[in-house]
Amino acid sequence: MARPLPGMPGAGPGVTKPLPDRVTLLGIRHHGPGSARMVRAALDVVRPQLVLVEGPPDADALIEHVGELIPPVALLLHDAADPADAAFWPFARFSPEWQALTWGARHNVDVRFADLPAGISLSREKTDDVDRVVVDPLGVLAEAAGFDDPERWWEDVVEHSSAEPTQLAAAVAEAMTALREEFADTVDERTLQREAWMRQVLRKALTEYDGPIVVVCGAWHVPALRELPAAKADADLLKGLPKRKIAGSWVPWSHGRLAATSGYGAGVASPGWYAHLWEYPTDTIPRWMARTSHVLREEGLPASTASAVEAVRLADTLAALRGRPSPGLSEVSEAALAVLCGGDDVGLRIVHEKLVVGEELGQVGEGVPRSPLATDLERLQKKLRLPASATEKNMRLDLRREIDRGRSRLLRQLHVLHVRWGEPDETSTLGTFAEAWTVRWDPGLAVAVAAAARHGATVEGAAEHVLVERAKSAETVAHAAEVLQEAVACELVGAVAAARAALDRCAAAATDALELLQALPALAATVRYGSVRGTDPELLRAAMHGLLARGSAGLPLACYGIDDDTAEVALSTLDKAHEAVILAADDDHSAGWWDALHRLVRTEPSAHGLPTGRATRLLWEDDRLDTEAVAIRMQRAVSTFGTGTSFVAGFLRGSAVRLAADPRLLGLVDEWLTGLPNEAFEDALPLLRRAISNFSAPERRTLAERVAQGGGPAVLIADDGDPERTARLVEFVRGLYEGARV
Amino acid sequence: MTTPTVLRPSAETQYADELTALAATDDKPRPPQWRLSPQAVVRYVLGGTLSDGTVITPKYVGDRRLVEVAVGTLVTDRALLLVGVPGTAKSWLSEHLAAAISGNSTLIVQGTAGTSEEAVRYGWNYARLISEGPSEAALVPSPVLRAMRTGAVARIEELTRMPAEVQDSLITILSEKALPVPELNLQFQAIPGFTVIATANDRDRGVNQMSSALARRFNTVVLPPPATEDAEVEIVSQRAAQLGRALELPSEPPALDEVRRVVRIFRELRGGSTVDGRTQLKKPSGSLSTAEAISVVTSGMALAAHFGDGSLGADELAAGLLGAVIKDRVSDTAAWQEYLEAVVKERKEWRDLYRACRELDPA
Repeated sequence: MARPLPGMPGAGPGVTKPLPDRVTLLGIRHHGPGSARMVRAALDVVRPQLVLVEGPPDADALIEHVGELIPPVALLLHDAADPADAAFWPFARFSPEWQALTWGARHNVDVRFADLPAGISLSREKTDDVDRVVVDPLGVLAEAAGFDDPERWWEDVVEHSSAEPTQLAAAVAEAMTALREEFADTVDERTLQREAWMRQVLRKALTEYDGPIVVVCGAWHVPALRELPAAKADADLLKGLPKRKIAGSWVPWSHGRLAATSGYGAGVASPGWYAHLWEYPTDTIPRWMARTSHVLREEGLPASTASAVEAVRLADTLAALRGRPSPGLSEVSEAALAVLCGGDDVGLRIVHEKLVVGEELGQVGEGVPRSPLATDLERLQKKLRLPASATEKNMRLDLRREIDRGRSRLLRQLHVLHVRWGEPDETSTLGTFAEAWTVRWDPGLAVAVAAAARHGATVEGAAEHVLVERAKSAETVAHAAEVLQEAVACELVGAVAAARAALDRCAAAATDALELLQALPALAATVRYGSVRGTDPELLRAAMHGLLARGSAGLPLACYGIDDDTAEVALSTLDKAHEAVILAADDDHSAGWWDALHRLVRTEPSAHGLPTGRATRLLWEDDRLDTEAVAIRMQRAVSTFGTGTSFVAGFLRGSAVRLAADPRLLGLVDEWLTGLPNEAFEDALPLLRRAISNFSAPERRTLAERVAQGGGPAVLIADDGDPERTARLVEFVRGLYEGARV
Repeated sequence: MTTPTVLRPSAETQYADELTALAATDDKPRPPQWRLSPQAVVRYVLGGTLSDGTVITPKYVGDRRLVEVAVGTLVTDRALLLVGVPGTAKSWLSEHLAAAISGNSTLIVQGTAGTSEEAVRYGWNYARLISEGPSEAALVPSPVLRAMRTGAVARIEELTRMPAEVQDSLITILSEKALPVPELNLQFQAIPGFTVIATANDRDRGVNQMSSALARRFNTVVLPPPATEDAEVEIVSQRAAQLGRALELPSEPPALDEVRRVVRIFRELRGGSTVDGRTQLKKPSGSLSTAEAISVVTSGMALAAHFGDGSLGADELAAGLLGAVIKDRVSDTAAWQEYLEAVVKERKEWRDLYRACRELDPA
């Protein structure tokens, strides 16, 4: 194999020795099925004593578990102290690296990783942004061969090649050597360090083993390994690199994730196609077309077997027309589009999603070491019959059923741990006993699982721990209430108690009624619907009522003498608290709330207009304040300099739909407007304009239509003796509304 | 080049030199009855320079893959269906493929609402039928039948304009490659090389959906509208110059700037927004195809030649533009007015065009 070769870039000629003949270098394309086949065949021919694979040596201990894995899987390596700082090395069945690993396992041959350790590369990733070979080596070769796409060139020359595997490897090595010489100056420092490490591993292996050794690495690195410079030169290159302690394991991976960029740099655009190429070296195209028409038929699109036959013929013809040895992905896709999909690319997109990428999820056997948390999660997945799946699934959970309640609990606990496996659908209301979830397991969640492992040994324990910590550090009532709500949803008794305590602590310290009231919405839902969850609702009800009582007492004062920003907060707090009261408060406490609203409205001198206006409307809507009183209140607000705008705004804001639908409310505003004396009316108009300025365009249109229909005559009644002027005013008001139309 | 004695010579006549040169240098295997190898057909359509120095003009500007799929389809003796909105060069491509493959692009059936089954299958010479009784001599073959007997490419234009039952008479021809004649108790069997290129328009009104039984027997290639403004400008100016020559217009070839203006107006109205994406526009009801852009430019050239100073300018374009855009008196007029005021008026260098359009249609 290793013949005398031209000098390697950057190496001095004097001390450099050629690689011994017993080392075979297999230059591969990461995740290339052709390369995988070459590696497997070459290993069978060479029968090495040791296989070195490009990969992080920190994971050497994990290699023994290869037999228990079903690809696609990935090595997840992370900082032992900070699991969120992690990187993946994915392997598919068709990855040459994977073939090398499994060959070793099958033949009881030692396999080691030979790249820069993750302990070093992880820190590097942070400092340097992206360091990759600036020149695309395959791109250059492909261009020289007259191909527009390097992937296709490699496919033609290597993946479809039937040459003897070691000869093929030698040819690849030679081409790469020529390339490296030409582009010597584009090789960056990181690559040189990685290759130095590879050579160091190789030197060590040469002293430990006296039999044949095979190195499986990216084709680009082959030239750098063909000769060994003095060991000191490599040691110098690697000196002073920061190294961290690394932990990790195997995690299931998916084809979808393989398609994205991965630890090996380039992602694979068509993992499903590659897996097919790997699995079916014969009858590749007929099988692919059969699967394509099957997928299309499942989607209800017509795709007969006869058409599949024609598609195969067309793909073969296209390949011949383009001078390719056999059809590639572009030929089969174009043939499928013309014959099976009738030129319509909707069908082709489905094929791409389901076949070309595919959504296969790998498996990791039970013997593979993993964090206790991950083990617990798997146990729960099995128990709750909720397997991790890479395809998105919509679920409806009936909380009265034990298993569904368990599922909801698990998904929520995982949320607390930032493992967002499922997303609750809050938009659709399914009543008190049901929840809608969208569940999809993204293999990347493995990082979150690893990071969560430090919080506890079980999902429940970890989630509880996180919630208790959050409860302890809660500083506002609203925050504590949120934790309490989550704790109840997760059914974690300890966390509920801690959050309860936190709530009491924050409430005691809180002096601001608004802050107390802000906590109500989070609690109200739980109090109202919490009984399903098995936590004691009484506990929460007492907490909520305590907050409500104190908040009600302080409400008028909290709205007095505040600036506009605070008033906005007060308005939204008032709204939400009101909803919460309607939803969950008992009669006594509701009465206290209404009383608070009354007091707010009556406060003299007036509190800020926004909350006061809103309180006035809420009272009036519930018939607790008569129309007369409201009209008086409005008139007075307008007459008081400055507060008028905010009062009208507070009264009307967000009421567009109600204003249009409720003739009583429209009549009230109408009556108030028409009852105004002339000067006051002119003063009020800008206020009104501003109050409705945040209605949306369709809302304003509806409103304008309402006024146009029924408003006219009503306004005319406000005749103050001067019909001409009244008519002008009517026009003016109408113009105002019309102007609001868009 | 042969002297054109007809208004528009067919492709095999007009490009006879190129086809001869291609055949001379073509060393790849040819399917039965094919005049050229598939590779040479692709080259004929897409253009290039041959080893003997002959320059082949590009006939189709667009994705190479589409042409390869089309030729590949014909090699596998499947029927080819070219689908696209008007002006995507469906008929143009079909004509050149037939010319390159069979040396004959004239075996055409034109699909219309009135196309009868005789046009697709065979008819009878009634005088003979009456005097001699049914015989092969009394049978009048359709272009399709003639193509079957000679192993040539038959072209069917606007397939979906034919009534559905006439379309379906193609099913046996395409799947069995045979045409039974029950009256004579015989059937004609196609010889190798026979295939069908059909074109269809999926946008226009008044089309008859193809039955799925027939659709299954076609490989479908969708020809997209030109992807970029530059590509479209190239197509329009190239075709307009060719047509100008064919019509022997004494005017100069169209200035690129004018062509670009027309193409931009068409693309903007077709897409419903200006090229910078800032202004949203009403879309007119017409399809505003590249073919129509070509005809706006050629009619402008004719106007310039006969009534103007010979060079194409805003005044000549305005009339054609108005006619191309306004297909529906009410809604299209509104869309065009809006476009004139919001876009044309605002572009300083388009002032002449705005003025010309306003003069024609002072709204």
